[in-house]
Amino acid sequence: ELTLILKVFLALVLLTLSGSLQVLLLVPLCEHPFLLCSSESAGEETALDLMSVFLQCPPRSQQFRCHLLVALTSVLICSSCAGSRSRASLDFLDLLLQVAQDTSDHHGDSSPLCLRNTAAECLREMEASCPGLLSQRLELLGGLRQQETSRLHQAYAGLQVLVLRNAVLHLTKESGAGAAQLKALLGGPSCADQDVFQMDANDPAVQASLVLGPMGRVPTLPTGPDCKELRSILSSLLEESYLLSPLCQAALLHRLIEVVAMAPGIPPAIFRAQLLRLLGTNQVALLHVTLLMKCAFTDSLFSAEDEAFLLKRLLVLSQHPVLSASERLFYMDCILHFPENRPISCGDSDEALPVLLTPQLASILLPTVLNDSATLLARLHLQALVFLEDGEEEGGGGLAYIYDLLGALLHMVDRGGSRDLVVTFFRAAFLFLLYFHHVERYSARLSQQLCQLYLQHPLLAPHILNLADRTQDHLPESDWAVGLLQGLQRAITGAPGGQLTLPDLSCHLKVLSRAAEEGNISPCSTLRFLSAVFTSSLLCSGSNWCLGNGVLGVCRRVLLHPSLDSLFGPLADVLLHLACNYGDSDIQDHARLYFSLLTTLSREKLSAVLQGAAEGQVKKRALSCVMAESEGLTNALSVHQTDRAVLRLTEAGPGPLQEPLFEQLFSIRLHFRLTDHHYHPLPDASVPLLHRQRPPPELTLTLQPRRPHPTTIRVAAIFTAKDGLTWHSDMPDLHVAFQQTFLPLPVPSTWSRASRVAVFEALWEEAESEAGVWAVSLFCCQLGEAHLKALLQTHFLPFLLSDSSLEDGFRVLWFLPPRSHVLLKISREDDATLFKMATDDRQLLPHINDYLLEVTSTAAIRQLGSEPEHRS
Amino acid sequence: MSLRALWIISHEKGENASVRFSRRFATVEHRYKSLAGSSYVSVPEDSNFLQLLLTELGLSRSNKNFVAARDDCLYRPRSPAVELCLDGKKTLWPVLALSQGPLILACLPLVDIPSESRPPLASLLSVSQGLTLLAGLQAFLFSSGGKLDNEGLVARVAALPSLLLQICPLGTPLDIPLVGTPATPTVPTSAVNQKQPAWKTGLHRGRPTVNVAVVETVRSMQFGDQSRQDLWDVYGTVTCKCEVEGVLPNVTVTLSLPHNGSPLQDILVHPCVTSLDLSILTASSLDNADGSAFSGPYKFPFSPPLEPFRLCSYTSQVPVPPILGSYQLKEEENSLRVNVSLKLHESVKNSFEFCEALLPFFNRNQMGNVDVKVSSGQVDVTKEKNRLIWALGQKFPKSREVTLEGKITFSGSSQGPSDPLCTGLTAYIELHLKVPDTTLSGCSVDQHSVQVYSSAKPKIITSRELQSKDYFIWNSTGPAPMSSGQMMT
Repeated sequence: ELTLILKVFLALVLLTLSGSLQVLLLVPLCEHPFLLCSSESAGEETALDLMSVFLQCPPRSQQFRCHLLVALTSVLICSSCAGSRSRASLDFLDLLLQVAQDTSDHHGDSSPLCLRNTAAECLREMEASCPGLLSQRLELLGGLRQQETSRLHQAYAGLQVLVLRNAVLHLTKESGAGAAQLKALLGGPSCADQDVFQMDANDPAVQASLVLGPMGRVPTLPTGPDCKELRSILSSLLEESYLLSPLCQAALLHRLIEVVAMAPGIPPAIFRAQLLRLLGTNQVALLHVTLLMKCAFTDSLFSAEDEAFLLKRLLVLSQHPVLSASERLFYMDCILHFPENRPISCGDSDEALPVLLTPQLASILLPTVLNDSATLLARLHLQALVFLEDGEEEGGGGLAYIYDLLGALLHMVDRGGSRDLVVTFFRAAFLFLLYFHHVERYSARLSQQLCQLYLQHPLLAPHILNLADRTQDHLPESDWAVGLLQGLQRAITGAPGGQLTLPDLSCHLKVLSRAAEEGNISPCSTLRFLSAVFTSSLLCSGSNWCLGNGVLGVCRRVLLHPSLDSLFGPLADVLLHLACNYGDSDIQDHARLYFSLLTTLSREKLSAVLQGAAEGQVKKRALSCVMAESEGLTNALSVHQTDRAVLRLTEAGPGPLQEPLFEQLFSIRLHFRLTDHHYHPLPDASVPLLHRQRPPPELTLTLQPRRPHPTTIRVAAIFTAKDGLTWHSDMPDLHVAFQQTFLPLPVPSTWSRASRVAVFEALWEEAESEAGVWAVSLFCCQLGEAHLKALLQTHFLPFLLSDSSLEDGFRVLWFLPPRSHVLLKISREDDATLFKMATDDRQLLPHINDYLLEVTSTAAIRQLGSEPEHRS
Repeated sequence: MSLRALWIISHEKGENASVRFSRRFATVEHRYKSLAGSSYVSVPEDSNFLQLLLTELGLSRSNKNFVAARDDCLYRPRSPAVELCLDGKKTLWPVLALSQGPLILACLPLVDIPSESRPPLASLLSVSQGLTLLAGLQAFLFSSGGKLDNEGLVARVAALPSLLLQICPLGTPLDIPLVGTPATPTVPTSAVNQKQPAWKTGLHRGRPTVNVAVVETVRSMQFGDQSRQDLWDVYGTVTCKCEVEGVLPNVTVTLSLPHNGSPLQDILVHPCVTSLDLSILTASSLDNADGSAFSGPYKFPFSPPLEPFRLCSYTSQVPVPPILGSYQLKEEENSLRVNVSLKLHESVKNSFEFCEALLPFFNRNQMGNVDVKVSSGQVDVTKEKNRLIWALGQKFPKSREVTLEGKITFSGSSQGPSDPLCTGLTAYIELHLKVPDTTLSGCSVDQHSVQVYSSAKPKIITSRELQSKDYFIWNSTGPAPMSSGQMMT
């Protein structure tokens, strides 16, 4: 069952002497067990092998043994052996427990500690992935933790609390479970009515976090107030939590929160003694788990004063100078998801301001231009929410402050800020508009300032258009975007045209084209601008294809504009000018087309034609049409990759394809890649059309062998689908069988049978005399008379030289291009059939043998008629 | 609470980027698969991940152009967790990334809340765990002292597999790497009854020594403008190095303030502090300090780890900045007339380790003729000819006031550095200073207040220091960048 690669791997692990190399070899097993042990049986076998390596390994190579345990854990979990409690995984569990308990200090150094630590960590991972696996060992694990005085108690604490959590969770799902069952569980495996837990590891709810907040429902265990044992375990874990690293402390507390949430008999006040220490911490993970604690227990652990204190603490931490930027940003995120004692909204992913957050308190987080961009935006977002809540738009200092900030950013962008600054400014502007677009005095000014900015920096066009699009998407009721586009149009068309440069002009065309999409913006001035530009030196004899397309793009939008009737003259002028004078014939053609559409079609037809083209598939085929739509460029011009093969080459009639991704395929280009050097490379092949409703076209592939061996050819196809997109798809490999290289004796068709046999006999004679060049061999099998006939009929007919048996058998000759021959004399002796063969290419012998085995195999014969007796 | 994968990436300003180390945690991935169900998104190949992350962080080649997936103005909180758009509609989230110098450290925390919509970052403990681990690894990789050469990096990256075996063998971070080894040799614990803290690798043997250092940092923004309030703040950190015998020895450090000192606020403590008084925690910079606020003494009982650590940090609202400056520029034809005065407040000790003022000039030609006079100290022009360095030495004169006056011509042949903020007359002076044996808040640790419960008499060393950071004095004749604090009343 094991793949070859895995076998080689394991052999290497065993053989390699150097420790570091062995460790390196284990890395793929740890990181990619899905690939190496894809089946349960492969995982099982690998695990058994690795375990025997572990047992043979001398105790002094601790590092390697630790890595082995990690690799074993990964293999067993990922191949689902652990989930199904396979033999190897249970053995491994025993091994881990044994290692974890082995306190004998072999060498007086600290390395056994490392091994035991790793073993405990592996046990924890096994339990995490297969909840309930260790439930029966709770008492043992508790004992281990309590007795341990070295640093190892940390690993045991993490293990114990996870097993405890999973066991309690299991009990909550048992009907009728209560205090007695809990007591039995904590008391150890002695209790007879306890089965090994088989929690469904595939049930994601078991592994998911149970800290859900007041709106979530945590399953509970009706224990009543009597759960002394559980309480004493929890207290002891909490007492020693101080001794753990902050990361382990946070993880331990998280698990304890879950246990207490499930056991109503334990009051959350059990955590109270730890709270002050946690609230004052400089560790982000510890404060975070305190917030989760508040989320789970709300006012049963945190008073209103605590809540106010915690919020202030978060505000302070969000800008504390000794914390890192990412920690401060994280705390700011926590403010927007503050776990309130009495939350108003229940959406779990909605951002909402805490009720207690006043503008006064929030002012500590006012953004400034000196902030880094992430901080600036996060603060701006927070302030915007605060001001909105506070009714600031009525006129207060807050909004003015934010607007000043925007102004300062805009000024910096104007002075040539970096890309990051530009993006930050536009995001800030969008945030501002999102919340305050209705405050006319600011939004109108922003629009004006953006227009001025654009005139100075036309290269900002994509950013400005993006802002316009986004505000339109998110604020459909606002006409701010239209106002901005109108302002931009006015600014561009009103500016003195004298010093226009080419790049500026192409940006302007983009903006004008976008503005022309708006029915409320009259394209009059746009057309005036275009005519004016033509008379300038830039365009009059221009031959820049891209620029021409830019102009065409604007014209195209104008053609669709509701006020087209009043624009007829100016638009026709522009198109005519392009058609007659532009230096690129493609542009001329398109202009002429638009011109004739404009002059011959009614409005309704015109928009139907253009709109239809815009929605249908026709337009994306040609690059110039793509250019006209310029925005979807990347999509149309890139090659898309299919997930699976959508077509295949078949030799005979077509088999059914999988559920079709495509109905029709066009311009299919097949590319062939050889996997060896036995054949000359195949040129690409083209198929114009493939339609599901029509019979598949036939394609002739001419293979030119260098050596007539079987081979595999990789095939890929590039094609265009109905939607105009181009796709790349790998196709199933094409296999060329050995027998497909056979050709009959290459002699003129006029030759008589006798002459052919004569050639055969001459060659045979040569073969028998010149043993150096020719190789002679024998294949025999038990094949009845009838079967032999059938075989000859089915497989050998084109190559058969004699239709009835000569005294020493049938003559068959295969010519294998370019220059090899195989001669067969097939005869029956007693009840065996003999295939005497001679070939001038001895490398073909194994292939011939395989082929004969195949055609005389039981299955092949069964197809011919009935069972063969025996083969040798 | 676990991570699915971890990456360490090096680059040179976006060029030659490569994944130096990566680790996928297969068992966590296995769990994630069942948690995520149909919304499962696999971890991309390293090369693919690298490309996506660089693009998202704005470090890839297409830096200049508008990239719709990255530069869209639609606001989504991007930090500390970024979202990477994979093929199709799938996205990889939450990717935590810390970037410092030539290194980017990134990890992908496990989302253990199955939900249709994306759960808030704040509900995933794995996020703060991941941030902590990344910061710890960053400190480890840079621990040679800030500068990172390729050899140092190679050696540290080579040590990662065995390091991760200790601190994160299966994707659940257990600890962060130890940075800064204990100064004195330690012995492993032998049979003792007391449990050894997991954050302590051994035991100290020898004479007990406790070293406590208080370092205060002052930041300031001065505008020299009636309409804009000057800003300054002070924060302090208390660093300890304790060599004390015993598994869990008790040490108490007490910070005290002078009689009229402003209270310490926003106190954060190291996790080794065993207990805290509520009054220590409640003082916050959000509250208006009144006379009734708790003003010490601040007692911190703790059991020290072996390596040096930051016991606590605080902020303080001091009534005045240590140096009040005024900066005035007047544009003349191709030159600037400069007028600077700096006044040291009388409460501050006039004895510096160093004090210097930097006057950078942006968006102008290089300096030509520099004709300035100073009442004290000495002025140099940097080699690049774009800024003045005014070294004020160890002491201000008796008047506690120094001035700089003169004219700078920008007649150099080539363009100096550019800056989008400092255009026109927007300009600043940056002050760098260090004053030993003083703090602005007056906070100090008395040698006799350090209690060590030990049989031998401990050696106790305490020190104080004041330094500056981001201390800016803006030109009052030009528009200064806006800053927080002046609008709310």
